[in-house]
Amino acid sequence: MNRDEIIELAAGYALGALEVEDRARFEALLAAGDAEARAALRDFESTVADLAAETAEVAPPAVKAALMARIDAEGRSRGSLTQVLSSARPAPARRSLWTVVTVGAMAAGIAAIAVGLIVSTVYDRRISQLAKEQVLLKQELARQEALVTILQDPATRIIALSGLPPAPEARGRMLWHATAGGLLVAQGLPPAPEGKVYELWAIAGKGAPVPAGVFAVDAKGAGSLRVPPLQAGEDLDTFAVTLEPAGGVPAPTGSMYLVGKL
Amino acid sequence: MQSVSVPTPDASAGLLARIAQGDREAFGRFYDAFAGLALGLIRRILRDPAASEEVLQEVFWQIWQEAARYDPHRGSPEAWVVMRAKTRAIDRLRAIRRREKTFVAPVDEAVAIAPDHPMENPGVVAERRGLVRSALDGLPEPQRRVVELAFFEGLTQSEIANRLGEPLGTVKTRARLALERLRSLMKREGTTRA
Repeated sequence: MNRDEIIELAAGYALGALEVEDRARFEALLAAGDAEARAALRDFESTVADLAAETAEVAPPAVKAALMARIDAEGRSRGSLTQVLSSARPAPARRSLWTVVTVGAMAAGIAAIAVGLIVSTVYDRRISQLAKEQVLLKQELARQEALVTILQDPATRIIALSGLPPAPEARGRMLWHATAGGLLVAQGLPPAPEGKVYELWAIAGKGAPVPAGVFAVDAKGAGSLRVPPLQAGEDLDTFAVTLEPAGGVPAPTGSMYLVGKL
Repeated sequence: MQSVSVPTPDASAGLLARIAQGDREAFGRFYDAFAGLALGLIRRILRDPAASEEVLQEVFWQIWQEAARYDPHRGSPEAWVVMRAKTRAIDRLRAIRRREKTFVAPVDEAVAIAPDHPMENPGVVAERRGLVRSALDGLPEPQRRVVELAFFEGLTQSEIANRLGEPLGTVKTRARLALERLRSLMKREGTTRA
């Protein structure tokens, strides 16, 4: 690749306008530590950052507040995980045992060296598996923590959702907390056809419906959905469920199955 | 006179290092310094205030979680934020376009609209904006079109070539010439004003 071509790629990359193949080529150069590619990109990116100044606005305080609430929720779950881990730590071994343990550990060490590669591969695999499990546990814990917050806080509102003509017998309950998000439980919904899902919408006054997540129902027609905190959490007063293409859509297109107003 | 002071690249990189350690206060300051810049760009691309604030939140949430991945050798923290904001906004725009073709105004019309910003930042940011505007105006028309279609409309170079009925190679060259020229225009204006 000649110099001109590298600089052209860098310009397209900084503008975010490269085709997939070109982008892959340029990223391969960056990954390989190509000095010319890096220098050109650094230059162009700062020019592009300057371009952004043309449209700069005031940083919205509401978004900051929502982010801080998310961080606090995350911090709570981190804190409690640490507690769980430290309480699970075994009591220190008695002194008399120490020598035995040391000798044992040395023997184990020698054995480990003997089978070095195999053991370390096994451990690597185990460690990465544990790391993955820990991430999942953290996520699960954060979810649980947020749910507990929602359930404990008197500010949580409960909104009853009732069935509309496609499923008049369907019912739902929305637990909604302005900053922690909420939980939807629904029952009596017909199973979603192939390629479709139920999508929850949150609406503030006369505003446009905001997508709040998609969910499926089981054979009995029951489903639930954990809803993350949303913008305008304070002002939301209506929740509705529609049937939409799999993956969900940014604005409702299908029939409405459930609706409830505060 | 300035309502939002943009920290130096070193200071911002220091904030990012603290954010990587889970420093909430550093994150707040980083947000104050760069969220306005990011939001303006996202809004310019999406033109939907609610969706833009959602994308802004996603961008900064990602920054909170991935601050450790910032590499000072690759550019300033400001450029890093702008890249992230732009990529996210363009992803969202493309998703919307795929789903609702009619939702987005025709591109030519969109480019012609110079949006008003009722919530403009006074002071330093406005001055810097003037610099950018005059630098953009200083570009030959065909180069300016390429930058605007790529940067603010999220089109790829092939899409731009189709739209303008120009060969792809020409579009690539123009993108490069435009950025090189903008760089020198903004540098020159910056030094004469300083």
